[in-house]
Amino acid sequence: MLIIGVFVIYPIFAVVYYSFTSYDIVTPPVWVGLDNYAKLLNDQTFWQALLHSFTYLLVVPILIVLCIALAILVNRKVPGINAFRAIYYIPVISGSVAIGIAWRLILDTNGLLNSLLLAMKIINEPVQWLAEPNYTLPIAMLLTTWMGLGYYMMIFLAGLQNIPKERYDAAQIDGCNSFQKHWYVSVPGLRPQMSFVLIISSLAAIEVFNEVFILFGPSGGLLNSGVTIVLYLWQQAFRLQHAGYASALAIALLIITMGFSILNMRRIEREEVVG
Amino acid sequence: MTSSTPLPRKSGGKLRRIAGNTFLYAILTLVAIITAFPFVWVLATSLKGPTDAIYSVPPQLIPHQPTLDNYRRVWDQLPIASFFLNSIVVSVITVAVNLLFTSLAAYPFAKMNFRGRDAIFFLLLATFVVPPQLTQIPSFVMAVNVFRYYDTLFAVIFPSLATVFNIFLLRQAFKAVPNDLIDAARIDSTGELRIWWSILMPVVRPSLATTAIITFGNQWNDFFWPSLMLHTRSKMTLQVGLVALQGMFTSDMRGIAAGVVMTVIPIIIFFLALQRQFERGISGTM
Repeated sequence: MLIIGVFVIYPIFAVVYYSFTSYDIVTPPVWVGLDNYAKLLNDQTFWQALLHSFTYLLVVPILIVLCIALAILVNRKVPGINAFRAIYYIPVISGSVAIGIAWRLILDTNGLLNSLLLAMKIINEPVQWLAEPNYTLPIAMLLTTWMGLGYYMMIFLAGLQNIPKERYDAAQIDGCNSFQKHWYVSVPGLRPQMSFVLIISSLAAIEVFNEVFILFGPSGGLLNSGVTIVLYLWQQAFRLQHAGYASALAIALLIITMGFSILNMRRIEREEVVG
Repeated sequence: MTSSTPLPRKSGGKLRRIAGNTFLYAILTLVAIITAFPFVWVLATSLKGPTDAIYSVPPQLIPHQPTLDNYRRVWDQLPIASFFLNSIVVSVITVAVNLLFTSLAAYPFAKMNFRGRDAIFFLLLATFVVPPQLTQIPSFVMAVNVFRYYDTLFAVIFPSLATVFNIFLLRQAFKAVPNDLIDAARIDSTGELRIWWSILMPVVRPSLATTAIITFGNQWNDFFWPSLMLHTRSKMTLQVGLVALQGMFTSDMRGIAAGVVMTVIPIIIFFLALQRQFERGISGTM
């Protein structure tokens, strides 16, 4: 409890305080009132980062749909299915650093993707995948999706295995084909898992850092094309030693995640009332 | 919910089932290629000799001159062994202390009645919403100014010795234990600590395993905080070391690939050995 107090509860108050100060971590903080927040509202990069973080939320529906489909596939009891599950899970356990590096080898200008596309004559000259601002966010989001597949698949798989078999039998008696069976039985049966995945994957999307950092480095891609809120916070706090300003950023992030959670809780409550 | 007799299959054609299975395997294999191929490519690259092209049109997967030189080079220039040792030390200590602390903290929330219990628990749960990066600014300040453990392994371990998530997980597990067991012990005036240790802990062993696995995985793969704390090569964990390696071998793709393979293989073996428990662990979080 003490540790949580020191590393979770206390920091919240500390950040609120720092956000009203100018602080470089070394010398004591100086009270500057609302200056940081005023600066935040006029900071183009902040708005850009905000936009990027919200764009990142697109991975959530993609992940949910793909992972439910995948979970239904691997829920079959056919020989070798465990090996497939294991393979799908490898990206989850490998750690985002190793994965980021692996993908860099593929996406590099002298990487595999370019040589494949050149060999197939789809492109005529190498594309600078990692140095093209328009591709920064989509590539990072693709990586997030790829990394999340196995994990969320497992969650949905666990959910599927809790659905009573009788419901499928009933659907079959009603003349459902196998697609309808999953649409009317599996999907509603996975509702608790969907809420869970929705919450954690959207929080993860809003707070994304590793993927962008490892693919595009501390700058977050050319022309800030991949700067997300957390990356910007990291730059401000730990690169430029603007702990005060970074704290204001953190508070902005907290307000967003709180808003999200309240929305989610409302939705869950409503669903429970409806049934 | 009425009958449990197996229903006759509506469409029993054997041919159709074979066709369906072929289709299923085709999709499964496609997804497997998408998930595994980057690793295969890294492995191939790491084994390539100096005359094997990293980049060619069309791409070359199999090295003509396979060599372990890349591994030797990385191993000689970076303390990979210490990276490993550091990661193991950090993860094992974190797991062990977490199991002890969070199960102790979870017990009163689940099985004891005291004023404000639910309020405190709700407050704890509310901290879920707090982005971890927010707490890291003051944690960083404390690491430098208060605890003065900047650039030590202890700095990586200390803040994660107990997590709200684990308390929540174990509280759910304790709650599921029938009260009769505990009441009987209380009538015998067994101390609460003994009830916790000798009655509850053995019962919730599967949940403890889940907690251990999740904590281990998180700590092993954690990058953000360790990268802030660790700057001396010999003190780095694997994740931080890998980034250092990437910086050191910038244009040496073979070397970088060898480093990645060396760090990923052990965790994959670990996972394959515990696949069952992993899968149970994931479903346990629900």
